[in-house]
Amino acid sequence: MPSHPRFLPVVRATVDELCGTYGLSKEECVGVRLAVDEALANVIRHAYKNRHDQAIEFKCIVNDQQMEFTLIDQGEPPDLTKICAGPMDDVALSGRGTHLIKAVMDEMSYTQVSEGNQLKLVKRLHALKAIADGGNPGIVPDSK
Amino acid sequence: MEGQLKFSARSEGNAVVVDVTGQIDMGTSPALRKALLESLKGTERLAINLTEVKYIDSSGIASLLEVLQDAKKSKKRIILFGLTAAVLQVLQLTRLTRVFEIHETELQALEA
Repeated sequence: MPSHPRFLPVVRATVDELCGTYGLSKEECVGVRLAVDEALANVIRHAYKNRHDQAIEFKCIVNDQQMEFTLIDQGEPPDLTKICAGPMDDVALSGRGTHLIKAVMDEMSYTQVSEGNQLKLVKRLHALKAIADGGNPGIVPDSK
Repeated sequence: MEGQLKFSARSEGNAVVVDVTGQIDMGTSPALRKALLESLKGTERLAINLTEVKYIDSSGIASLLEVLQDAKKSKKRIILFGLTAAVLQVLQLTRLTRVFEIHETELQALEA
């Protein structure tokens, strides 16, 4: 997807539908949608310095145990020492995004890959109630 | 368009009510922040109607916090009301439910 904020609602709607399809509770759907949105916003804001003409590779793979979201960008690598560096201050105006992601997702990891900076977010599924053809777990193709 | 944010302000007694509709994210929160700060100039009490807000992210929360901080500096009040479950959940995740003054209905917000 392009690194433009106008595409965030599109991704949110897709993630929301996906979470509902795979049986997450309403609260979990809200949380996962928020976490993915925050991650994308961080890429736009920090990796791409608010440039709206770059590309973010966004992928979701679901199996019977987890939903895995992967974001890859070619922007500036994150400074891992500054991520969740301190407690979420009550009145701080910024820095909440990563705290929110960590509060919602079961795993969060940054890696350098050949394609760029990769962020992986994992949400474990307690009970899969997938509506999928032939009972196979759904795999969503890569989207840019 | 689903992602658009709309807002309008009206006077109700000694308060200004800003009705917000849509989704508050990094694309829409700057405009909302600007509108709320502008509305705050003309009143001692600003009530923000979030009944029709289906989504808010950390940038939206930051905008609300900035308006709150501005209000406190000039001894004004900010009141949020009509929070949807999704918005309330985000405030809970960010541990801000006690930082903001929150009411269920407009009537409660205006009478508080």
